[in-house]
Amino acid sequence: MRLNNKTIRSYLFYSFLIYLLTIPLLYFVMRSVLLHAVDKSLLSQMKEIRSNLGEIHSQEELTAWSRLDKDISLSPANAPIGDRIYSTTRYSPRHREEEPYREIAGAITVGGKMYRLVICSSLIENEDLLGSILLVQSVVLFLLICGMLWINQRISRRLWRPFYVALRNMQQFELNKQAEHPFLSSTTDEFNELNKAIMNLFSRNSGIFLQQKEFTENAAHEMQTPLAIYQSKLELLMQTAPLSEEQADLINVLGDTNRRLIKLNKSLLLLTKIENNQYQDIYDVEIGALCKKLIQQYRIHMQSKNIIIYEHISETIVVRANNALIEILIGNLLSNAIRYNIDNGMVILRTEKDALIIENTGTPVPLPSDRIFNRFYKQTGKAGSEDSTGLGLAIVKNICTLYHYTISYAFIEGRHTFHLDFHDGTVRQGAGS
Amino acid sequence: MKILIVEDEHQLMKSMVSYLKSENFVCEEAPDYTTARQKIELFTYDCILLDVSLPDGNGLLLLNILKENKKSDGVIVISAKNSISDRIQGLNLGADDYLIKPFHLSELNARILAVIRRRHFQGQHILVLNELTIDMTARVVTVQANTVDLTRKEYDLLIYLACNKNRVISKNAIAEHLSGDDAEIFDNYDFIYSHMKNLKKKLQQAGCGEYIRSIYGMGYKFDI
Repeated sequence: MRLNNKTIRSYLFYSFLIYLLTIPLLYFVMRSVLLHAVDKSLLSQMKEIRSNLGEIHSQEELTAWSRLDKDISLSPANAPIGDRIYSTTRYSPRHREEEPYREIAGAITVGGKMYRLVICSSLIENEDLLGSILLVQSVVLFLLICGMLWINQRISRRLWRPFYVALRNMQQFELNKQAEHPFLSSTTDEFNELNKAIMNLFSRNSGIFLQQKEFTENAAHEMQTPLAIYQSKLELLMQTAPLSEEQADLINVLGDTNRRLIKLNKSLLLLTKIENNQYQDIYDVEIGALCKKLIQQYRIHMQSKNIIIYEHISETIVVRANNALIEILIGNLLSNAIRYNIDNGMVILRTEKDALIIENTGTPVPLPSDRIFNRFYKQTGKAGSEDSTGLGLAIVKNICTLYHYTISYAFIEGRHTFHLDFHDGTVRQGAGS
Repeated sequence: MKILIVEDEHQLMKSMVSYLKSENFVCEEAPDYTTARQKIELFTYDCILLDVSLPDGNGLLLLNILKENKKSDGVIVISAKNSISDRIQGLNLGADDYLIKPFHLSELNARILAVIRRRHFQGQHILVLNELTIDMTARVVTVQANTVDLTRKEYDLLIYLACNKNRVISKNAIAEHLSGDDAEIFDNYDFIYSHMKNLKKKLQQAGCGEYIRSIYGMGYKFDI
């Protein structure tokens, strides 16, 4: 849940509660106020009638008066009664339904005779009024709450904008790239401080990364010359005569070791170059054709181990990438499948939608899928690993990271399976060129 | 044949001179840009080996000087950088070949010979080694009057051995020469053995003497 919604949720809950409580409360308060007003007017009417009774002199006059006014009724009374106000309902012939009334009953004396006088007042208008007041009140309250929520939402969105920009910058932060969106300066001190802290972190990280990159690159480059000298001297040593078999063996081992050093150095250089994003030339690379070319290139190595390769290239996958890197990527996977294979083993190379799968037989033990892509990961004592640099899969991983591909390993049905998913890196047929 | 070696690393220079001298090349040394420039302007060489990073300048600039002086010396650029753009830049500036450090001296020798061959014989060149005749232009190998039918790899192998005749060539150098970058991926030399076996057999069947010798599993030598 977003921060904004979280604060608003409490407000919303509170507002709704108040809103629900207010409607009945308002109804009862208004009703009692109105009733009170009606009661007062009834009492004052009774008082007025009593004070004006002196003007009525005969029985006839009294009946006539009571008949004229529909709101009063007279009935003879035997005993004196006190004034009493009560609510009741009466049938209204006009509306043909029961209507609420408020009545006052009291005793009056006309010409020495005692009567019971009832004055009534219809409450129907009051009820209507109450209804309208409540309606207006509810609408106003509703609008008020909605408005407040809306304003709050808007203000917080604007208020939190620098925060969200900073968040996105952090999410998209890549060590060898500049931030795409500039940080927003804000009137809120906290946000400005946050931005400053993040920018510091970014530049420090980038600085360290740059230093490390430079060091690796320089170290690898500087190593080339001594390696070249070493190799050339070894070759000259080979030409010396006489050469015993023992010496030849030693030279042989030194030569192989130097070759390994050279390979290691080249792999390290390649890794730093990928990280430096030095492979800028982008082409459309057709994976199927590249696989066929690599298989052709490696055929001789497969033959020497009597490995059978099954190719099922059913999909046309075209990626936009540097061709050399893609060749290294697939070449490393394929050569591993051959190197770490058993004699008379097999390699299966097949395609799925936007994905390339390379399976191979080998030692029947699953590899630690969490570690194989690490630099200098090596299987100790396994066939084919004696001369390994432990960087092949790290290079694969780096190329995948560069182009946002996914590489995963699984041990399925006794076969080591590498699944290379190109995702959106592929070019749809007809969409490109 | 005169060769100018422009290389600031003294020991590497010594190695190159030592290997190339026994090939009847006359080697001149230029340890820096200034010396190299003077020599280039004064003399003409059959081949110049040019290191890119020199203490007092970029070796590639010497290619421009050659061009300005309308000289057509063969040039092999030697660089520690293995980037396609550098390679293209070097070749665009008029270099004949590009070699990346570290390299095998036998490979360097073969490349120098190829450059000289292209320059001096307009590509037309026939190598005669006793009864063995190699027509480099037509890529045809004959022993006495018999044509030897070789595969491309076997032919490349023979040329490589012949170029470095009487030298021990390490199996690493052969593997790299034959398979290019793949050699880095595989450490399996079985394929060299099979190529070598086939080549020896074919030459022998055509009546050629046994010139190719294995040296204690360390490498091979074309003894003549």
